[in-house]
Amino acid sequence: MSRAAVLEGTGEALHPAGTRADELAAIERSWASPPGFLGWFTHVNHSNIGRRFVLTSFVFFLLAGILGLLIRLQLALPLAEVLDAESYNQVMTVHGTAMMFLFAIPAMEGIAIAIVPLMVGARDMAFPRLNAFGYYVYLIGGSVFFGSLFLGLAPGAGWFSYVPLAGPRFAPGYGVDIWTTMITFIEVSALTAAVELIVTILKLRAPGMSLDRMPIFVWAVLVMAFMILFAMPAVIVASSLLMMDRLIDTQFFVAEAGGSPLLWQHLFWFFGHPEVYIILVPALGMVTTVIVTFTRREVVGYNALVLAIVGIGMISFGLWVHHMYTTGLPFMGRSFFMAASSMIAIPSGVQVFCWIATLWGARIRMAAPMLWVLAFFAVFIAGGLTGVMVASVPFDRQVHDSYFIVAHFHYVLMGGAVFPLMAGVTYWFPKFTGRLLSERLGRWSVATVFAGFNLAFFPMHILGLQGMPRRIYTYLPEMGWGDLNLVSTSGSLLLAAGFAISLWNVARSLARGAPAGDDPWGAGTLEWATASPPLNSNFPEQPVVLGRNPVWDWARSGHRPIVGGLSITRRETMVTTLLDARPQSVQVLPGPTPWPFVSALVASASFFGLIFTPWAFVAGFFAAFLSFLAWFWPRKPWRED
Amino acid sequence: MRVRVAVDANQLDRFAPHTHPLWWGILGAVAIEAAVVATLLTSWFYLATQSAAWPPEGTAPPPILWPTVVLCLLPVSSMTMWWAGKGSDAGDARRLSLGLALSVLVACLVLGVRAVQMTAFDIRWDAHAYGSMLWVITGFHFTHVASAIVGTAAVTVLSFRGYFTPSRQLGVVVDTLYWYFVAAAYLPIYLVLYIAPRVLQ
Amino acid sequence: MGNVTLSPATPKGAAFSDGKFARGLAAAGAGLLGGCEGRQAVLAAASPDGEMIARLGLWMFVSAAFILVVTLGLLAVALTLARGREARPLSRRGSCVLVISGGVLSPVAAIVALSISGVAIGDQTEGAGETRLTVEVQAKRWWWAFHYLDADGREIAVTANELHLPAGERTRLILTSDNVIHSFWVPNLQGKTDMIPGQRNVLFAEPSAPGRWRGQCAEFCGLQHALMGVEVVAEPRPAFDRWLARQAGPARVTEGPGLAAFMSQGCGECHALRGTPARGRDGPDLTHLAGRARIAAATLPNSRGALGGWITDTHRVKPGALMPASTPDPRELSDLLDLLEALE
Repeated sequence: MSRAAVLEGTGEALHPAGTRADELAAIERSWASPPGFLGWFTHVNHSNIGRRFVLTSFVFFLLAGILGLLIRLQLALPLAEVLDAESYNQVMTVHGTAMMFLFAIPAMEGIAIAIVPLMVGARDMAFPRLNAFGYYVYLIGGSVFFGSLFLGLAPGAGWFSYVPLAGPRFAPGYGVDIWTTMITFIEVSALTAAVELIVTILKLRAPGMSLDRMPIFVWAVLVMAFMILFAMPAVIVASSLLMMDRLIDTQFFVAEAGGSPLLWQHLFWFFGHPEVYIILVPALGMVTTVIVTFTRREVVGYNALVLAIVGIGMISFGLWVHHMYTTGLPFMGRSFFMAASSMIAIPSGVQVFCWIATLWGARIRMAAPMLWVLAFFAVFIAGGLTGVMVASVPFDRQVHDSYFIVAHFHYVLMGGAVFPLMAGVTYWFPKFTGRLLSERLGRWSVATVFAGFNLAFFPMHILGLQGMPRRIYTYLPEMGWGDLNLVSTSGSLLLAAGFAISLWNVARSLARGAPAGDDPWGAGTLEWATASPPLNSNFPEQPVVLGRNPVWDWARSGHRPIVGGLSITRRETMVTTLLDARPQSVQVLPGPTPWPFVSALVASASFFGLIFTPWAFVAGFFAAFLSFLAWFWPRKPWRED
Repeated sequence: MRVRVAVDANQLDRFAPHTHPLWWGILGAVAIEAAVVATLLTSWFYLATQSAAWPPEGTAPPPILWPTVVLCLLPVSSMTMWWAGKGSDAGDARRLSLGLALSVLVACLVLGVRAVQMTAFDIRWDAHAYGSMLWVITGFHFTHVASAIVGTAAVTVLSFRGYFTPSRQLGVVVDTLYWYFVAAAYLPIYLVLYIAPRVLQ
Repeated sequence: MGNVTLSPATPKGAAFSDGKFARGLAAAGAGLLGGCEGRQAVLAAASPDGEMIARLGLWMFVSAAFILVVTLGLLAVALTLARGREARPLSRRGSCVLVISGGVLSPVAAIVALSISGVAIGDQTEGAGETRLTVEVQAKRWWWAFHYLDADGREIAVTANELHLPAGERTRLILTSDNVIHSFWVPNLQGKTDMIPGQRNVLFAEPSAPGRWRGQCAEFCGLQHALMGVEVVAEPRPAFDRWLARQAGPARVTEGPGLAAFMSQGCGECHALRGTPARGRDGPDLTHLAGRARIAAATLPNSRGALGGWITDTHRVKPGALMPASTPDPRELSDLLDLLEALE
């Protein structure tokens, strides 16, 4: 059913009885986003914001990917001169930082912001303006950070910014300041999204969607959001302390003055390890989603999967020390973390075998999203296994900071997160654009990416065992690493070509893709129960949920329960109880407003000022307060009721 | 397909403050801030265990009198907030305004005491990691009290203008929640910054 | 930088262990992984510690490959079962067996094996054992200083970038840094350990037989992290003792035009030639430079041409290196090189 059909009230499946066409139009007007260039800065609807997050994160993915290619070109031959040492360090730092902070987390959050409210049957997220604020923070912070590379001002101390190398003595200039301020700033965006997602999932689920009826993807996002909530503060504290070491001469990380370089590593990895799972967990949720839809079966072991996801979230906070096996910590302590680190194999194994059990003997629709999932299986399991290997203290002391690790984490992050992300994007693309992607191009893309990826990254395992350390801008010919590096570089070009096919596929489909319809995959979750692209209000009639796959349940039972009595002239959505989603109250949501953008601008200016002077903190405090005052000052709809 | 209205939202409360998502959102913000406090205090202990002397030789632990005054004042300001909230529940707009204004006043007093207290620190922030920790944790809490003050001041102004009613008091409820956190967060900070150095010595 | 100055003039694969393991698993594994032999390789182990870790790595690799094949095999079966047949889900019981055996029991077995082996091997490779010699290794930007200490911790000799060890003995290395974090890694001998300001970490090296290997800084330490190499030479004890005695002595040349050039070019401000007025401490001790096989932190061969190139064109060879390039006239340069080549 087309968008227009819904609005005219002719759409049979959705609105035969409950809502009249004029009411429907009124609801859509209440939820509309203003058009035009200036209007763009006032949008607050989650589907708009989520789409922007995803789009922006993929732009950063493309840019950081190009940096990755530069790195590969420089390393293709010994003593190559594509990049000099300084540029190489900047490129390497920005590649890592951007992939982690500007691509992976925002992409996952973006998909969650776009999909989760639909999946739980809500009309928007709990705090739409905060959502918009988080996006502008990310956009501005990310652009400033990435832009520093073009000015040659980028940080060159690695994405991990180890002190003292990143401290004031060994990294003069503004590079690391840009890193500390912008990372802190971008984390604010991750935190707002996390709070937003948690509250939306816990309180705005459609009536009847008790926790045990929540789609696995929503569970995964919930766990991700909680992990962000407790992991990000550590990196915010760490980068703020480093900022102060550089700006006002505090001594947190200076060994001679009572500080400790290892404090940085503990704080950074207390965030940094959960970070990997923050990226991985929603990706695993996407895998489950795709498998359920393409086998048209309930997933095997729902409870086990939920427990596994929650388990991964908890365990991930107890293994940061495995990044620090070589720092001279007592062996007893490291042995504990060795056991803890390998424990992650249990929840991961449970998930893998639940999926295999679900796929067992099913008639599987082998469309592109499913192919991405199959590619994920091979690469992720391989990466997980090398992960268990490096959990071993003695083995890790050999391969730590070598190319073996580079291979390992690209297997886990590309295989474990990017492939599922591609599956997810391909899967939900029709929902958000209303158009289908080309299956043929999709297949080619999966195949090319899979081949290119393995060609690029498998040789790195061997290079690591041959003694090639990470983060080197060149190597001597007599080291004998040239051949495998050349193979790796050619693989990376193939990999890039594979992603280029997907990019072309998207562009082609946006221009002249076939119309998708509401539910092109015959999926069972609620995002497929609205038009494609989703209506302004998501659901003119908010659904009532009686099972895990409401769309399938409706088809089976022949009737569709809904919520009645929500206002048609203002933005209202149901609030339900936390565990079993009984109706509790109604939340009135704010409409379009420019203030989040203004606040984000003010906050950006303050953080940017912190690169140069500590007084920016004081000025920023008051400026931010004024902008928040303007943002929160009561106005419609509160005044009129 | 038949459509059936299974839930009627007409009768549901639109501005119930205690189940409102915003209340949960503030709880999320509190969780983040609490994690920051915990991280800072853990870092304090980490550096203490790594150092030969903590505080460093020749540095006295910060004087304890003024922090103790703050420790007493903050609960007082929470009490006035609570009193104001009860008034709001009962529809007593004047009691609400008065309570809020009192809280802001007490908190301003806290800021003043904190400022005096900082000048009495025996060590600068750039002399030693101990000094850095002391100043930054103190400054962190100072900023929070300041932001609670300006936020509550805004709520107070609204209250004097008669904005809040018993059915429309979400602003008061969430502001009070944040206020309690700022007051409560001081206890662990007090124990670590002022009591722990004396015990460790 | 031109490949002229960086000629590959190194003897390859000087020595490998002849232990049981080298003939067994290592050969198989090395073949499997496409030839990991080399002067800087984990699997070409040349010490008991290196051998234990290499063996552990190969066992883990074999187990991991097995698990990967079985899991993907199960996946393939799952996918192809419905070909031309009616789709039939796995029974509840079957699912439970699959998930519990694959997802719980096998990982638990792997965790137990990994933890036990890790603790046992870690305990041995990081254990002190019996040591006679202690060397303090100081990481600089971007080179290594080696201070040989006697039993009371007094300094016997100082050298740089080429670590000599007695073969068949366990030596204690004390790892320190006064600048950024580095990591000491000679893969053939031992796992790496970081060198962190304000900390004294310890590492043990026990080359089984005489030989020569290369190592490299493994923690990102700035501009010249990539070329911060180290040569390690193991000799029989008598040869080692002779070497150490020579290192303890003063420079062989203590006067002449070469030394004059050395001083006038300012080399002596950073480099020491013991027994001469050159007493700098910021750069590598050059008292016995000519005895080393390579220069510039194991980057260039120690030849007259490479020395000349390194002195005059320092930053083309190593951008960002802290040593300023010198501009001696040809006469001075020639004297300087004569001196450096004579510092046996």
